[in-house]
Amino acid sequence: MIRTRKDQIKFILRKIILLALAVVVAFPIFYMFSSSLFSARDFNKVRLLPAKAVFANYARVLSHRYFATYIFNSVGTSVLAAMIRTLVTIFAAFALTHLHFRGRKLIMGALVLTLFVPQEAILYQNYRTVAALGLLDTWTGIICTSLFSAAQLVLVMGSFLAQDRSYYDASRIDGASDMRYVFSVLVPLSGPAIMTVAIQTLITTFNSYLWPLLVTNRMATRTVQTGVTMMGFAESGETGAQMAALVLMTAPFMLVLAFTKKRIENALIRR
Amino acid sequence: MKTKRNDNRAYLYLAPAMLLAGLFCWFPAIRGFIQSFFTVSHSGDVLGFAGLSNYRTLFSDKAFTNSVGNTLRFALFFVPLNTFLTLLAASLTRRKSRLSFIPEYIFFVPVAVSLSAYSLLFREMFRGSASVINRIFGTDLGWITTSGGAMATLVILGVFLDFGIDYILLMCAFRTIDRNVIEAARMDGAGGWRLFFQIELPQIRETFLATLFLAVKDAILISAPIIILTEGGPYRSTETIMFYYYVEAFRSGNRAVQNSLTAIVMTLAAIAFAIMGAKRRDR
Repeated sequence: MIRTRKDQIKFILRKIILLALAVVVAFPIFYMFSSSLFSARDFNKVRLLPAKAVFANYARVLSHRYFATYIFNSVGTSVLAAMIRTLVTIFAAFALTHLHFRGRKLIMGALVLTLFVPQEAILYQNYRTVAALGLLDTWTGIICTSLFSAAQLVLVMGSFLAQDRSYYDASRIDGASDMRYVFSVLVPLSGPAIMTVAIQTLITTFNSYLWPLLVTNRMATRTVQTGVTMMGFAESGETGAQMAALVLMTAPFMLVLAFTKKRIENALIRR
Repeated sequence: MKTKRNDNRAYLYLAPAMLLAGLFCWFPAIRGFIQSFFTVSHSGDVLGFAGLSNYRTLFSDKAFTNSVGNTLRFALFFVPLNTFLTLLAASLTRRKSRLSFIPEYIFFVPVAVSLSAYSLLFREMFRGSASVINRIFGTDLGWITTSGGAMATLVILGVFLDFGIDYILLMCAFRTIDRNVIEAARMDGAGGWRLFFQIELPQIRETFLATLFLAVKDAILISAPIIILTEGGPYRSTETIMFYYYVEAFRSGNRAVQNSLTAIVMTLAAIAFAIMGAKRRDR
C-alpha cells in the first residue's frame, strides 16, 4: 500500500494522541511509585522524582503494627472468595446449561436478575443480616455478599453452551459422574472463562472497600483496603509511607495482570 | 435424541447460588422495599404502617435534594468524558501490532489499582494549591479544597476507576470484528473516519452500550471514593445520593430515609431493566 503524505500525517497524529493518553493514564501510578521514595522535603518541594531515593518509607510501612495482618486478611479473604465463587458459578452454570428440570427458566431468571439489584442500595439490609448471623469481624462476613455474581454466571454459561454437548452424552453413556465430566472435560475446555472469573473475583474482593469497612470494627480483622486509609500516615504527615503502602498492595496485581492479560483477552475476544 | 428427563440433582448444584442470591440479594431488596412503607425503629423493629411518610421525610430533606443535584452534575460530566476517553483509547489500539502490548497494558492496568489506592493517591495529587497537579500545569487551583474543584477531581477520579475495565471490553470487542467485513469495506473505498463510524462502531454496539450502561450505573451509585476523597465536602458539594444513604444509614441511623432510598434505587433498577428488555425484543 502506498502511503500518501496525508496518511503519514494522520499516522503520526494518532501516535501522538496515543502517547499523550498513555502518559495521562499512567501518571498516577508513576507518581505513586515515585513518591513512595520521597523524603519529607521532596513533598514540600512538590517534585516529580525524588532528589535521592529513600527506602525508609517502605521500612516504616513494613514495621507498622497491623500492615502484615491487613495483607493477610486481604489475601485470605480474596483467595477464599475466588475459589468459592468459581465453584458456585461452575455448579450453577452446569446445571442450567446441561440438565433438564422443572423451574429451570424461573431459577435462571431469579439468578440472572440479581444483576439489576445494586449492592450499594442494600448495604444496610445486608449489614443487618450479617450482624444477626454473628458474622461481624469475620472473614465469612467480609466475603459472604460477594460469593455469587450474575455477570460471571452469564459468562460461564456462555462458555459451557459453546462446548459440544455430545461429549456429555458420551461420558454419561460411559458411566462417568457429572462431577467427573465437569472437572475433566467441561472446565478445561472453558479455561479462559473460568480463569477470568477467578481473577476478577480475586481482584474485586481484594480491592473492595465499603463492605469490609462496614463489617469490620477491630484492627485485627480489617483488610488492607480499609486499613490503609486508617494507618495514620496521612494524619501524621508521613505521605511517603502512605504511598509505599499503596505500592505494596498494588504492585502484586500489576504483575498478575501482566501475566494473565493474554488469557483475559482470549476470554473476551469471541471468534 | 430428545427425551423428557427430570434431573433432580440439578437443584443440589444450584442450591449454593440460590441460597446466596436469596439471602444477600432478594431478601434484603424486598425487605427494604416493604419496610419503606413502615415506621422502623433505630434498632430495626417494625413499629407500624407509615404509608408514604418515609418518602415525604426523604424529599423534604434539603441534604437529599442537594445530593440528587450533585449526583446529576457528576453524571453529566463523568459519563461523556469516560465514554469518550475509553473509546478513544480502545480505537487507537484496536489494531494489533508488534509493540501494541505496551499501550494495551498501560490502559488495562488501572484495573489493578484499587478504589482506595486511587482515592488516596488523588487526595495527595490534588490536595490544594501546593499540589503536584498544579505544579505540572503551572496552575494555582484549590482542587479538593473548593466546591467546583472537588467535583472536578471526583469526575477525574471516576474516569480512572472505570478506565481499565471499559477499555479492555471495548478493545476486545474491536478485535472480535470479522476482518473480512473491514477488508470488504476497504475495497469499497471506505477508510479512516468512515470506516470507523460506519463499519466498526456499529459492529461493537452491544459492548459500547454495555460500557455506557455501566458508566451511568456507576455515576448514580458512586459513594466509596467520596468517603475517602472529600467526605462529601467542602460545603456538601460532593455529597451524592449514595454517600447520603451511607451517612444516614450508618452514621445517623435514619431508617426512614434509608429504606425509602433502597426502594427508590430498586425501582430505578427495575425501570432500567424493563427498558433494556424492551430494546432487546425490538431487535
